[in-house]
Amino acid sequence: MAEGYNVKEMAEKVQAIKEAATELQNISSGIQAVDRNVDRILASVKMLEINISDIVDIA
Amino acid sequence: MKEVEKYWNPVVETLPPEKLKELQLKKFQNIFKWAYEHSKFYHRLYTDAGIEPGDIRTFEDIRRVPKVEKSMMRAIQGKDPYPYGDMLCVPLERVTIYHQTSGTTGQPVYQADSWQDWEWWAEAWACLLYAQGYRDYDRLFLPFGYNIFVAFWGAHYGAEKLGCEVVPGGVLNTEARILKMQELRATAMAATPTYVLGMADTARRKLAIDPAKDLTIRKITVAGEAGGSVPATKKRMEEAWGAKVYDHVGATEIGAWSYECSYQSGLHVNEALFLVEIEDIDSGEIITGPEKRGKMVITALDRMAQPCIRFDSKDIIQWGPDECECGRTFRLLKGGVIGRADDITKVKGVLLAPTSIEEVVRSIPELSDEYEVLVTKKGDLDDITLKVELIPGQPNNNIETIRAKLIDQLRIKTNLGYNLEFHEYGALPRYDVKAKRFKDLRQKE
Repeated sequence: MAEGYNVKEMAEKVQAIKEAATELQNISSGIQAVDRNVDRILASVKMLEINISDIVDIA
Repeated sequence: MKEVEKYWNPVVETLPPEKLKELQLKKFQNIFKWAYEHSKFYHRLYTDAGIEPGDIRTFEDIRRVPKVEKSMMRAIQGKDPYPYGDMLCVPLERVTIYHQTSGTTGQPVYQADSWQDWEWWAEAWACLLYAQGYRDYDRLFLPFGYNIFVAFWGAHYGAEKLGCEVVPGGVLNTEARILKMQELRATAMAATPTYVLGMADTARRKLAIDPAKDLTIRKITVAGEAGGSVPATKKRMEEAWGAKVYDHVGATEIGAWSYECSYQSGLHVNEALFLVEIEDIDSGEIITGPEKRGKMVITALDRMAQPCIRFDSKDIIQWGPDECECGRTFRLLKGGVIGRADDITKVKGVLLAPTSIEEVVRSIPELSDEYEVLVTKKGDLDDITLKVELIPGQPNNNIETIRAKLIDQLRIKTNLGYNLEFHEYGALPRYDVKAKRFKDLRQKE
């Protein structure tokens, strides 16, 4: 089933989102409105990793 | 339906079994290492057992990892970091929500979740609701008290995630909930089997509403009790509501680990998020096939703040022999959760699962949904009494015929003889959430 989907490409995009979100947090100077929303983005990114990135080496 | 629309995630849900095992092993290694490095409790447990992260290479290695029991969690809670104790893998500042177990088997267990773990709860629920046919056009009514018990909180957030409209029916009473469902034309709900039957009863008796005809609920997800996998109870719920009823089993300290899909072939274990092992109750050997039932040991593979690694849940389960027609490769359990090791008890020398009694009572249409089982001791001998209620106005209300049917079926299903008591409709206790219908009073006498 996995072969019908762009798992590898999706995983690369997930990684890019993660890196962008982390960079955003790094330059926030501690603005809570940035940090807390990035936390939520990263929690969602983790769900994408569970659904896609974790499968890359397996499927 | 397009292939991609059949599954929440077709990539994961249809992974070939050997790939799924590979994924589980990789994830177990990760969660083990995480807990070893970040939780004092787990570090102590594993160090005492002489196991380090590098030692986990195969499933055989996993079976050497010490199990965690509820009593161990109770022993550390109340200490620092307060109130969870040192099982935590994250600082308290990362904990964003508290829940606790109901305390059915003793002191409640406290459970911490981070925002990421709460996303994970929602993810597991979204996956199971999608498998049960929930879509973004559904209006899901949740008639439960939103409080410290995790109950249907996950249903709320999981349903939101997949795009459903959620109606939180929190502090409304039963009549108000039914009327609100009717007013809003809710299409689905989630509740305990006891409450699903209780609501139907209230609707008919107090509001002259027939849920099957006058309401628009067509999907019901049940959890919290065994009834969703007890055929006679499921049939009663489906007939009362004119809806499909799907079982789900989860737990506060584990997560939303299993579900029935729309094919209703048994409970799927979400094997991408959980590793379920079944242990022989006597020998402790792992049971890999469908030949016999055993005790579940479960790991939540992605729960990070307060991990659940090789948790001895005491649930009695059995692998099913068949694959599901839905195409998911997640394995099925035969008969759902058959009981808890704590509940399956010897009466008159015979192993008794209370769900067997429920199956018999609810297969007899002249009897109400309620019943009560009392196990006592008379001298040295066990004594078991079953109390049932007759539905008023039944054409076949012949007590002797019903008694004979009960005796016969109970003997077949449980291999025991009972004292039978017939009561008027409404005489036995009613429960709003989880029922306590099996009462073993032997230890107290």
